[in-house]
Amino acid sequence: MNGARDWRGLLFVAPFMLLYALILVFPLFRGLWLSLNRVDLFGDGRFVGAANYVRLANDPIFSTALLNTFKVTLMIVPVLTVLALLLALALNNAGRGAALLRGIFFSSAVLSVTIVTLIWRFVLAPDAGLLGEAWKAAGWQPLAFLSDPHLVLPALAITTIWWSLGLPMLLFLAGLQQIPHDMYEAAALDNASRWTTFRRITVPALRRTIVLVVMLQTAAQLQLFGQSQLLTAGGPSGASRTAVLFLFETAFGRWELGYASAAAEMLFLLILAVTLAQYWATGRGREASGAR
Amino acid sequence: MDRGRLTPVGWAALLLGALIMVAPIVWTLLLSLKHNGELVGHSGAALHGPYTLENYAAIFGNSSTLRWLLNSAIVALGTTAGVLVLASLASYGFARLEFPLRRTLFVIVLLGLAVPSQAVILPQHQLFAWLHLHNSYPGLILPGLIAPFSVFFMTTYMRGIPRELDEAAMLDGASRFTVFWKVILPLTAPAQSTLAVFTFLGSWNDYWWPLISATHSDMYTLTVGLAAAQMNYAQTSGLGYLMAQAVFASLPIFVVYIAFQKQIVRAMAGTAVR
Amino acid sequence: MRRLLPLLLAALALGSCARGDDRTHIYLQRFFGECGAEYGGSTDVAKAEGECGIMTALINRFNAENPDLSVDVNVVAWPGYPQLTAQMAARDPPDLVTMHEGVISDYAAKGLLEPVDAYLAQAGISIARFTEASRQGVTIGGRAYGLPWDTHGGLFHVNTALFAKAGLMKGGKPVLPNSAEELIAQARQFQQRTGKPYLLQSNVGDPAYAARNQYSYMMAQGAALFPDARHIRLDTAEGRRVGAFFRRINAERLGTLNMDTPAAIAAFVNGEGGIYPTGTWMIGSFQKEAETPGRPLYASYAVFPYPRLWGRPLEFVSGHAWVVPARQRSPRQRAAIARFFRFMAAHNFDWARTGHIPAFQAVLESAAFRALPHRADIAPLAAIGRPLPTNVQRQSAIEGIVGEEMAAASTGQKPVAAALASAERRVNELLSQVN
Repeated sequence: MNGARDWRGLLFVAPFMLLYALILVFPLFRGLWLSLNRVDLFGDGRFVGAANYVRLANDPIFSTALLNTFKVTLMIVPVLTVLALLLALALNNAGRGAALLRGIFFSSAVLSVTIVTLIWRFVLAPDAGLLGEAWKAAGWQPLAFLSDPHLVLPALAITTIWWSLGLPMLLFLAGLQQIPHDMYEAAALDNASRWTTFRRITVPALRRTIVLVVMLQTAAQLQLFGQSQLLTAGGPSGASRTAVLFLFETAFGRWELGYASAAAEMLFLLILAVTLAQYWATGRGREASGAR
Repeated sequence: MDRGRLTPVGWAALLLGALIMVAPIVWTLLLSLKHNGELVGHSGAALHGPYTLENYAAIFGNSSTLRWLLNSAIVALGTTAGVLVLASLASYGFARLEFPLRRTLFVIVLLGLAVPSQAVILPQHQLFAWLHLHNSYPGLILPGLIAPFSVFFMTTYMRGIPRELDEAAMLDGASRFTVFWKVILPLTAPAQSTLAVFTFLGSWNDYWWPLISATHSDMYTLTVGLAAAQMNYAQTSGLGYLMAQAVFASLPIFVVYIAFQKQIVRAMAGTAVR
Repeated sequence: MRRLLPLLLAALALGSCARGDDRTHIYLQRFFGECGAEYGGSTDVAKAEGECGIMTALINRFNAENPDLSVDVNVVAWPGYPQLTAQMAARDPPDLVTMHEGVISDYAAKGLLEPVDAYLAQAGISIARFTEASRQGVTIGGRAYGLPWDTHGGLFHVNTALFAKAGLMKGGKPVLPNSAEELIAQARQFQQRTGKPYLLQSNVGDPAYAARNQYSYMMAQGAALFPDARHIRLDTAEGRRVGAFFRRINAERLGTLNMDTPAAIAAFVNGEGGIYPTGTWMIGSFQKEAETPGRPLYASYAVFPYPRLWGRPLEFVSGHAWVVPARQRSPRQRAAIARFFRFMAAHNFDWARTGHIPAFQAVLESAAFRALPHRADIAPLAAIGRPLPTNVQRQSAIEGIVGEEMAAASTGQKPVAAALASAERRVNELLSQVN
């Protein structure tokens, strides 16, 4: 843009950035300070330097929680992204049937996490759940989704995928709207196959949206909390305790604000590293293909 | 242009998926129509009658419900409007304008994606106590306005709009704000709608912030109020009521979704970009 | 609309400093849910049912009997502590709050609760009138920090029809074990004859169950769970005995393994097991099933405190209390709180209809209380019930840790000794961080 480099652009971003600084950046730094103190919920504390971080590094509960968090994120994000993309492709037309199906696939997103977990408890509980009954009907031993340490994370993942399908589907639909018609018309003239069209036109055009969805979902699922708190209380034996549940228990249950803040900063840095890695990895790709 | 058509296998998978999505919701609906006592230990009773509206009557019988509904509507609409304005302005700046610190500021916003809300909720609570904003609408709305997602998403979308459009307008002598207002903004309708739906949804279903910020029952939002109204062991002895609450609380979001979904998918039928 | 108006007025009065009436306002915060639809205008306490109904009618009645006072009620989601903590941090706590006795120490230690001795004296309530469990539950270092309101703890809820089938009824009463070996023997006999599990256990998402077992049976053996306020001792001979016992029950499949609370409740109501160990709070629901012809539990329900298995009959209990957060109050407000205490103490029997054990010895011994279903059987809980030492802080977090570890031990995910050691280490680390 003819090299225009002026301060007026700041006017556009200032309202957001000022609020952002006050409500997010300031609390984040305040949390950083708290993490260097042994301090409870009512602010009585003293400076302890890195002691909270040293404790964290040696806390097996925290490291298990981090590991669980990464595992469940890996189970959720790829499946969710692919499913949402397929749905958006299938339902991206003006027909009434598509509109109805879009509504159906979106409907779970309107529920609060309390209700989602309540519903899925009924599906997953081995002695009363729908899946358990189906398994029994098939003559198999029902799977203890909520009490088997190996099954509880997949159970959380399934619940989360069911619940979260709506947003990425809508993002992909919005992204598909940006693809100009004439590109498809040109492909049709060339007698390109559907697969070729998908690969050569749709995917490249949706690249930004795919990156957006993957980054958003990764950041969101690394913060998974309510499902684990309400469905299993982090159990059995901590097998489904996520990092944010750890944070929550430490702050509200144990009143250890300093320690919880240290855990929050660690989690923040980890999510940050993953997000930035994704952003830069795909950002470099964009520079390459960006010479439109 | 045959991308909308599906193979029979595709259709079958789609319908199966729809069934998996919809079955629990239908079941929620059925449970909400049953007498609580009948469901103790027998949630299967929901599959047959008699059905009753008594759980919904109980929700409306609580004189505070309408107040909570109003609070939720004010907070969710206020948050949505605020987010659309702030994010659109900021995103136009980030997507189209050159100014000092642009990259740095954008990365700072991006960093926000990595902040778990549980990590800042207590410092935020302190901050809002200092500002005397608890138990007020601004106190409930403000934290929702700074969602990094909104800026990230809108910026991504605006970058996808061909630059030739604003360059043409600039050649005609339009100011930056005019370009933003007259050229870019109308093209972002699908993104605005998507963002509106999701902001509204997130704000409507938010639980922890209103729980600790709105501690007087006349400032409760619907999620907090309905949770407070539940008796202990509601999962067992008040299942029907619980489900009626869920249905009741979800309806407004569904209405918002229906209202916006036409905008989201204006379809390949011709109104789309170019 | 008759209901709506006073509420709106109350809300307005709260919001503005210039109050339109000369009544003294006290601000009460409670859980137990909202049932204004059914009991909004009711002052007939005797007709009210359930925790929420009885509580609502009681407060309505208090307001009606005290026209110069107004108790403004704020209902919070159970258990309400995140909100209370937030209010205290913002220096805006209510005047009266429902609190679990195990939580009192957290707030009392920070000076966030007023000792209530003066209010009790003004209300003419002597501490000597409380039951043993209640007195212990609200007293820290010789001072009372709340008006105790009930005692609640674990009970063996029994399906007597299945017990009869198992040959475990004697003189119309179920035969409960008197030692660990007896329990195993009876459980085996029960399973052989009925083909159903002896114990229905909520092991999923409910750490309170495993913690209650561990606490109760260690206390019964005379173990000092907390040698001092900063340390727990679990990895002892007594602790291992209890851990190994529950491991054995599960290893022999004498109890269910994969149920959460709603599943266990459903199973008990549907007659799918002999005993469901859970709290006093379920008595009302189960009794209703027992009175409904055609239900699996019809005329087949009995309930008792946890049986003695080792040592003395002692059981871990908690209770609800009314506490007074510290803040500036006018003399009239303080008098109002005392009057509220006096009223609530006088109506302790009404609350006992919920299934909880009353906090006052006289109510416990009254004919009216004993005439309620099953109450004579569970009344001993008030004498054998013991809270954790009240100078120990973070009791609910500790219960979470102990429950998580012991559930892992009893289901075989961890060796008993490892679970005990890990619980001990985690709790002691937690306590070492308390300021």
